[in-house]
Amino acid sequence: MKILRVENLTKRFGGLYAVNNLSFSLKKGEILSIIGPNGSGKTTLFNLITGIYPPTEGKIFLKDDDITGLRPDKIAHKGIKRTFQTLRVFPNMTILENVLVGMHPIIEENIFNSIFHPPIMKRQQKEATEKAISILSFFGTRLTGTRLHHPANSLSYANRRRLEICRALASDPKVLLLDEPAAGMNPKESLEIMDQIKQIRDKGYSIILIEHDMKVVKGASNRVIALDYGEKIAEGTPKEVSEHPRVIEAYLGKKVAKNA
Amino acid sequence: MIIMKKNDPTLGEKTKIIFMKIPTKAYIVITILIAILYPLLIMYGTAGQLWLRLAVRTEILVLLALGLNLIIGDTGLLNLGYAAFFAVGAYLTAIFASPRFGFDLPFWILFLASGVTAGFFGFLVGLPTLKLRGDYLAIVTLALGESTRLTLNNWDYLTNGPGGIPGIYHPSFFGYPIDSYVKFYYLTLIIILISIVVLNNLKNSKLGRSLNAMRENEIAAECMGIDTTKAKILSFVISSVFAGLAGSIFASFQTFINPTNFVFMISTMIVCMVVLGGMGSIPGVIVGAIVLDTLPEIIRQTFSVWLPSVFGSDFYANWPHILKDLFINFDRYRMLFFGILIVLVILLKPEGLIPNKRRQKELRETDPREISESEKTLFDVEEGKMDVKV
Ligand SMILES: Nc1ncnc2c1ncn2[C@@H]1O[C@H](COP(=O)(O)OP(=O)(O)O)[C@@H](O)[C@H]1O
Ligand SMILES: [Mg+2]
Repeated sequence: MKILRVENLTKRFGGLYAVNNLSFSLKKGEILSIIGPNGSGKTTLFNLITGIYPPTEGKIFLKDDDITGLRPDKIAHKGIKRTFQTLRVFPNMTILENVLVGMHPIIEENIFNSIFHPPIMKRQQKEATEKAISILSFFGTRLTGTRLHHPANSLSYANRRRLEICRALASDPKVLLLDEPAAGMNPKESLEIMDQIKQIRDKGYSIILIEHDMKVVKGASNRVIALDYGEKIAEGTPKEVSEHPRVIEAYLGKKVAKNA
Repeated sequence: MIIMKKNDPTLGEKTKIIFMKIPTKAYIVITILIAILYPLLIMYGTAGQLWLRLAVRTEILVLLALGLNLIIGDTGLLNLGYAAFFAVGAYLTAIFASPRFGFDLPFWILFLASGVTAGFFGFLVGLPTLKLRGDYLAIVTLALGESTRLTLNNWDYLTNGPGGIPGIYHPSFFGYPIDSYVKFYYLTLIIILISIVVLNNLKNSKLGRSLNAMRENEIAAECMGIDTTKAKILSFVISSVFAGLAGSIFASFQTFINPTNFVFMISTMIVCMVVLGGMGSIPGVIVGAIVLDTLPEIIRQTFSVWLPSVFGSDFYANWPHILKDLFINFDRYRMLFFGILIVLVILLKPEGLIPNKRRQKELRETDPREISESEKTLFDVEEGKMDVKV
């Protein structure tokens, strides 16, 4: 079953086509990886799906629901959540509070309750806290224990990435978008996080994973799409894509240019 | 010779440790006790009445600072026209409880109505302006504050213009009149305590977290499902309600109001109280309001009244003119004093006198054990790219 569908999506910044006539779909319960050299439009694609930018052309559907051009908060409520390559935790809020904010789409609370805290809300808050802790304990003790009440800016970058994943998961999203979750991690940590992302998929989540390193996604993805200059240059199994001549060219081209 | 070991705590550190060991609850209880007992300590004599009057004025400012803190401290937006909302509450109460139009509505109705009306005014103003960012919002609210005052000044039929509204009735609850400074003091104290509970609840609620999240990272907040425009308007409205409530008490306490009570200086002073005390910290802004409102008065009393009365009226006779003037007419230098105080706070303790816990933590550095070797070298953020909205 297709949970997310993107049709002829284009985003132009001035004369630059950051995403160019891109179509693909995400099946329920799979990991779809988006690879491509830096600047190939991967993050822009996420910004389009989550409503941060309106697309220049094209449509985005969540199941059969047209979500093109909706505001980011509406899209979050519809069930698409993401992490950020540039790390956007709430730095001075505690780790627990960060996850509670992530849970907002599924917390029912009116202004009266916010102000007067009736007993029903106390119970609700307790449940929310318990749920947040259980989500955070997915990463062992890295984010739990006394750390729960530490501000997010006391965390290492790797732990901030883990926190962003927990924050995104907190509202049980239908689609989870992960933007380079392994960036800045050492090879061992990368391997570990890829394994954990697979575990998240096995719980039933549908995931789009951005990574610029083909090697990292190989083991984790069901399917891979390669982008270059905003265009899809290859799609298929990890093996097919990694052997695709245009993918090799895109990456080798980069390397040659780098070495020169 | 005494050789101090490096890790011996100094006296300053020792006192700090002692203070830190006192639980927060104890501070709260002690503060409330002092607040309750304060009138009993100063009530007697003519000077006592003066200090009590000042205390009620301070209480009203505390209420204003608490309300403005919601916008400045929690939401991270600047409102330079807060006096406008204060004025709306004050004038509503004045108009409906004075001989001006012959109305005499019960205070509790007017008190609530003042809050609601100021809140609605906040809604009307917030709707178009809260899409603006930082500096623009500051300018718009500043203009709003001034135009509100000018409207009050010129709408003769309703407000009697610069002449103001005299003879505002004191409140009374089921026949029990609030007609003395002491009674006003306790009435306002109760309102402040309720406000603190409400604001503290708000901090630990979905709305409170939304406001903080929005201040810390607006894009991430949106992607977590927070309707930022709605949250901003809500916080603006709630903050205006507090100003309206404070205005209502102010009018019935003063019994006479006119537009000069709501000048730009009042708005700035409340901003100063929030900044001085510690943005986002409830105890902080309370202390900020108390310090900024009472300290000049204490200095004035000391130099203009107390010292001359102890050392004779020619105490300043041989002083250089400028110092003499400063001490005798300290009132005139009040603004200079504010300016110096704020500059000192910003230089020496930018997080305020009693900082918000979150902001304080901001100053704490990342635990070095938290950063693995690989991250130091490998991590590479693309800072700022997404900050441009197209
Ligand atoms: N807000 C923006 N304004 C202008 N150009 C942008 C903006 N965001 C991204 N771009 C450009 O779009 C291209 C794709 O960027 P991006 O999606 O971040 O690439 P990737 O994530 O694949 O590294 C780059 O050339 C980048 O400079
Ligand atoms: Mg990117």
